[in-house]
Amino acid sequence: MTDETQAREELIDLAAQFYDQFAAGQVPELRLPTRTKSNIEYDPESGVWKYGDRTSTRSANSVRGARKLLKAAYTIEFLADQLAEDRSSTLRELYYLSESWDNTEAQFGDQDESNDLVEDLEVVTGVTREDFHMRPEESGATLMGPLLLREQTRRGEREIHCQEDVGEGGYQIPNNPDMIEFLDHDIDFALAVETGGMRDRLIENGFDEAYNCLVTHLKGQPARATRRITKRIHDELGVPIVVFADGDPWSYRIYGSVAYGSIKSAHLSEYLATPQAQFIGIQPADIVEYDLPADPLSDSDINALESELDDPRFQTDYWEEQIELQLEIGKKSEQQSLAARGLDFVTDTYLPERLGEMGVL
Amino acid sequence: MTSFQSTIGDEEGIAEELAAGQREISIAEFFEKNKHMLGFDSGARGLVTAVKEAVDNALDATEEAAILPDIYVEIEEAGDYYRLVIEDNGPGITKAQLPKVFGKLLYGSRFHAREQSRGQQGIGISAAVLYSQLTSGQPAKITSRPKGQSRAQYFELIIDTDTNEPEIKAEKETAWDRPHGTRIELEMEANMRARAQLHDYIKHTAVVNPHARIELREPGLSEPLKFERATDELPAETSEIRPHPHGVELGALIKMLEATESYSVSGFLQEEFTRVGKKTADSIIDNFRDVHYGRELSWEPPAAHVDRDVEAAVEAAVANKGAEATAAFAASVAETVAGNARVTRSEVATIVNNAAETVEDDTGRTFGSTVRENAVEAAWGAITGVAGDAEDAEASEDGTPLVPQVYALIDEATSTRKDDETVQAMADAVARRLVGLDGDAFRVTHDDLERLVADAAAFVTEQHDVTFGETARGNVVEAFWSRARTVPDDPPKVNVVAADRDASADLLDAMRVTDILAPPTDCLAPITAELVEAGLRKEYEADFYAAATRDAKVHGGDPFIVEAGIAYGGAIPAEGSVEVLRFANRVPLVYQRGACAITDVLKSIGWRNYNLDQPGGSGLPNGPAVISVHVASTNVPFTSESKDALANVPAIEDEIELAVREAARELKSYLKRRRSMQQRREKQDVLGRILPEMADKVSEVTGRSRPNIDGALARIMNNVSIEREVNGETVTLHVENHSSTTERVEITDIVSVEPVDPSAGSVVEMDGEWFLQWKPEVSAGGDAELTYTVSEDAEFDVSVSGVETEKLTVNA
Repeated sequence: MTDETQAREELIDLAAQFYDQFAAGQVPELRLPTRTKSNIEYDPESGVWKYGDRTSTRSANSVRGARKLLKAAYTIEFLADQLAEDRSSTLRELYYLSESWDNTEAQFGDQDESNDLVEDLEVVTGVTREDFHMRPEESGATLMGPLLLREQTRRGEREIHCQEDVGEGGYQIPNNPDMIEFLDHDIDFALAVETGGMRDRLIENGFDEAYNCLVTHLKGQPARATRRITKRIHDELGVPIVVFADGDPWSYRIYGSVAYGSIKSAHLSEYLATPQAQFIGIQPADIVEYDLPADPLSDSDINALESELDDPRFQTDYWEEQIELQLEIGKKSEQQSLAARGLDFVTDTYLPERLGEMGVL
Repeated sequence: MTSFQSTIGDEEGIAEELAAGQREISIAEFFEKNKHMLGFDSGARGLVTAVKEAVDNALDATEEAAILPDIYVEIEEAGDYYRLVIEDNGPGITKAQLPKVFGKLLYGSRFHAREQSRGQQGIGISAAVLYSQLTSGQPAKITSRPKGQSRAQYFELIIDTDTNEPEIKAEKETAWDRPHGTRIELEMEANMRARAQLHDYIKHTAVVNPHARIELREPGLSEPLKFERATDELPAETSEIRPHPHGVELGALIKMLEATESYSVSGFLQEEFTRVGKKTADSIIDNFRDVHYGRELSWEPPAAHVDRDVEAAVEAAVANKGAEATAAFAASVAETVAGNARVTRSEVATIVNNAAETVEDDTGRTFGSTVRENAVEAAWGAITGVAGDAEDAEASEDGTPLVPQVYALIDEATSTRKDDETVQAMADAVARRLVGLDGDAFRVTHDDLERLVADAAAFVTEQHDVTFGETARGNVVEAFWSRARTVPDDPPKVNVVAADRDASADLLDAMRVTDILAPPTDCLAPITAELVEAGLRKEYEADFYAAATRDAKVHGGDPFIVEAGIAYGGAIPAEGSVEVLRFANRVPLVYQRGACAITDVLKSIGWRNYNLDQPGGSGLPNGPAVISVHVASTNVPFTSESKDALANVPAIEDEIELAVREAARELKSYLKRRRSMQQRREKQDVLGRILPEMADKVSEVTGRSRPNIDGALARIMNNVSIEREVNGETVTLHVENHSSTTERVEITDIVSVEPVDPSAGSVVEMDGEWFLQWKPEVSAGGDAELTYTVSEDAEFDVSVSGVETEKLTVNA
């Protein structure tokens, strides 16, 4: 049985579940783990954060719930047909496609709604959206470093060396990184960088070559593909993963989703999260230590930091100390603020020092 | 002082000159110049007012004769004028009375009656006659056929404005097809610009007089406007009541005093006023005595340690009656006095008289009035120490003997914060001022007592530099007053009171301070909440009606009742503010809406609380509603003679508000229910569309046939679902209640063959069909099964009631 057939069957089972509820004179409903911060729990076995026991119900009992379930039924049909035909589509295409459905009640109001619904279906069926043949329109980020891989493309297999066969832009991570096979590598550690500016700085300074480092560009909050490939690099190649981001609460969440899994996709944490990933900076302590140029924390920054103190994923001694320090100094710094000490400061001084402290180098 | 009159003109005889131009003005002449006061200020309004007066009269007349009114109003163009015809089926008017009723202003039967009626002054219809003759020069043409007479009387008459007397222009006997009634025809200069108000008046009259049938024809109508009768029930008959003591004014009281045949005040009160019997009359008279004569201050008899001896004083005052009789007399007086905690001069006189009579009986000695007076004088002197033959003249002048008792009263009446010195000074000052009061009888009115105490307090304040404030003074006055006694004097006779304005005022004061039962309310004829609602139902096609009638209350001696009704939704226009219907004694008020207390009250209510739209949170609410308010009273306080607007009387305003709020509360719960029904309906609409589509989709995806979703639907919509199951010969009706309240469902199943063994319920056969009826009570979330058996194939027809159709899903 192929993945496609299995995914398709899971979807049809879900439809059958609604059918049976109708037939029994019951109100159709869909029970899902509650997808909020308060309902994620640490799973010591896998070392990642997953959904807890609390569930919420989408029931046809209300107009809102009924509309949701109607859309779910239509989406199930669409996905089942897509799998039967071995086609694929993007999340955005699903949103536009709904416009063509005969029933206006089933059409999506905005893309967030269709994205959420696909996530709901993932959660309920236990099938990833990649296996539904749904992909995000923004592709994953890029890799640059001493890694040789083979990618299964629709136009045949390609062997690519992520340093020698690529331009300055690096290797583009495909939507489904499970199509990649790692062939050979010379990587000592992988550095996941938040901003494009810093990533380019590291490449320009030849950091990847100098330290046998695989530089991953996260492009802000990392896409699933980026997180998945990061996990595979760690698990399959056995290299340490280091996250390099800005020194503000939003960047800590980027680290959090790489290392612990995101709240919205906690059902996939085992598949996406790399609990061993380490945060290199910018730490609040660095702002003080290196006397980095800083901006004052805004109200929303402070709220975000306080909310992180409540976040079970950040309830470690390290993060509590860093966040409390940041609240105390009331400042935040970007990665690029290191340029205040010269363009080479980051590659010559900051990163080597920090990597040393962390025991990576 | 310079006399104004003497400087007004230099010429002599100006007053005479002016006098030549001064003459009496007849009421009719006055009206001629002041038409607006009676609602005839323009041609448009004059027409409405004339109709109103005639219709009001017709309604009053029919009601009085207990006839269901049948009123016909016709307006037609007659050259440059309009001709107005109003016919009723009333009891008719006798030939002798007719000219005066229509041809004399201020002639009527109701002005002097305390009874709810539409007309009051006897101005209305004759004013219409006058207006018609002034504008068109035509006489009023009146036909009336009194009940029981075979022929009708026809008059043409005008009012002689100089004398305010009718002038008959033509008179004849005539035939009339109505068995009884009155018809009046007036021609007047008018226009139909106030058509809307005219229609409003007629329509609103129909609303508050659901027992009346009214027909209106006017040139603008292609067919007559007919308002049919909604009830055959006549308004409750009202009875006339006498005025209430709390509701008369001084002038009226004096007039009544002059007119009464009673001799005593007590008889006058009981005869002329409502709610006054012997007991109430006595309390009024006691109060009257207090106000008119004042009370006598009472004093404690001398205590043992005081060197004043009543017995010795009396004994000394009696001469030539023999030692034994004198001693017995003095002992008796002294003993009785000592037996009283406090006595007044009048009481001492009574004691002396009683003692004298006893001794007379015992000894045969005669104690004449001089002896008795001397004895009273002597005893009173001994009691008070200041009067009569008091021993120490100087001390008695200063009131010293009174000081201890005065001190005790003041000390008790004032707060403990007053130091002893102040109290002592006050006691001295008061005692000094009491001496010689009313010849030492200490008779004083409340007002005088207040002045006396105030004077003493002012003296003390000035002399001793202490304060003796208003509260303290008031307390002192009350201490004396409450211990003073009403005097035994007889109240003055009625003719004396009538002749003395001050005495009349005293009587009025006494009447006002006496607690008297509220006036009876059988003089009022409220429409009743049911008929208020019926009236609205008749003229407004609405979704909801509510009405409230308050209990009777009193304002200025006149009882009144307020009723309110609300109609909402349906065909009532939703745009703009709500329609307000104002009524007073069943007469619609059409003009001066803004000046009316009813409007004021409606504007002051926070309508948003009652789920009505009220822009800015004040003023009249918006929406498809009609609010009607009826004030019934023996004397409706209008702002003017034209009777267009209620005056702002707080007692009435309060009742209006309460009545309107009562009806509005019902409206609120209706609107709430309707809103939730609406939401339920919307939900039902949406879910009723979505769920079948979802069922179709899942059956498509799963490749199975379409599932039955009725059960799911019923559950979702908090429905009561009724489903039939036929299993061989057994028929089962499943009743499921998915709502959150207990439902009492009435189910009737009409079966084409005879049903056997029905579970409970009743079976009735009618024309070959069997009506099976159950009334199960199904609790929230519960269900019931109703079964029976049929021997062969049968046809069923189920009908369900007791549950709102929105909540019902029948699949049977």
